[in-house]
Amino acid sequence: MTAREALTHPWLTVRVQIALGAIFVAAALPKIADPPSFAHMIYNYRLLPGALVNITALLMPWVELLAGLALILGVWKRSARWLIGLMLAVFMVAITINLLRDNAIDCGCFDVSAANLTHEQRIRDMWMVLIRDAGMLLMVAQLWWAEKRQKLVVGG
Amino acid sequence: MMLKNSFVQGVLLIAVALVLALVSNGFASRTRRVVLVGYYPDALVVPPRQPDTPPPPVGVAAPAPVTTTVAQSPAPGQPPMAVETSTIARPAGATTTGGATPAPGVVVPRGASPPTTTSPAGAAAAPQVPVPAPQADPIARFTPHPDKAYVEISGDDAALLYSKGVLFLDARRTSVFEEGHIAGARSYSVWEADVDDKVNQLYEERSDPSEQNLPIVIYCSGGACEDSHMLAQKLWNIQFNNVYVYKDGFPDWQKRNGATRTGGQP
Repeated sequence: MTAREALTHPWLTVRVQIALGAIFVAAALPKIADPPSFAHMIYNYRLLPGALVNITALLMPWVELLAGLALILGVWKRSARWLIGLMLAVFMVAITINLLRDNAIDCGCFDVSAANLTHEQRIRDMWMVLIRDAGMLLMVAQLWWAEKRQKLVVGG
Repeated sequence: MMLKNSFVQGVLLIAVALVLALVSNGFASRTRRVVLVGYYPDALVVPPRQPDTPPPPVGVAAPAPVTTTVAQSPAPGQPPMAVETSTIARPAGATTTGGATPAPGVVVPRGASPPTTTSPAGAAAAPQVPVPAPQADPIARFTPHPDKAYVEISGDDAALLYSKGVLFLDARRTSVFEEGHIAGARSYSVWEADVDDKVNQLYEERSDPSEQNLPIVIYCSGGACEDSHMLAQKLWNIQFNNVYVYKDGFPDWQKRNGATRTGGQP
């Protein structure tokens, strides 16, 4: 078995799909439970106009939850994968902009309570979030690659 | 065709998420609900006040007049309150709805003694006895500042105003407020849906223009916390002219061993 075959093997693909879905479900639940705190987190990014902060804080966690559930259950996989990839790209751009501004913020990814951290600790955490999001984007890429390869094989 | 199907599915998924978000927000408790269109101005850059702002500009509907009393004991069903010992105390009988301030409508320059008023008729009738010089009111310098949304103050100033019975507002989340807050402070979280109603209620309580010149102190978690500044802008927009932001906030108050209380009551 070649490395390409191993990386696109259905055994791996199913596990990546479920893991990615579970991560997004886990990320969505605290935000759904406490929209005001998540709105505060979004405000701290200083990227959205004030009028859009609350509706984004309400909508985004539910999109994360439904996309994550779709991946876990294996329904609407393709659209769920694209939505998750898009969200990850947006998160990475938002974190990068704030790193460039030296605006140390809590990412609000899995926990919406404000952490009692120093500026340096927050900046370090933001770098870790970037790396983590890049890793999840690789998982999305694996799903896309496996599907593409499967089509080629099925198509002959 | 497959791409089109994926796009339609994605849009459907977002639409379902939107419906679920709106329904869950509709059923959320008071402290977990947000207004759909938030008002979050840059907390540290204050735009000029609108010259003809008709009060009350906050929120949509003006609430009915209310009378708020500051409970000194927990209401039935409320968690018990724990008052800690403190070195900063309010005067006996002080309430949080007012404060020892310059006479209503009287603007005293910073550092100046309070103005004295003499009545011509009273002067004619009064006996010629030496009158002791009035003691300078220590909070006379906290004069209205209609040109500024807020003035930042230190912990010393906050303690002074607290000892004079000035109203304190806590801009942190209600859940954090319940874990511990300045005794007598009211919870006004800027992130929760009912903050505009609370601001309007305060306006109704202090509907007289002179009462809107009474000092109000707002605090949050200190450090980089900007919730106090946001709340101060809301109060300023509704014509409160004497708002102070206790910049170092609750952590500093605790260091000073100020009076604190737990639970949902002030």
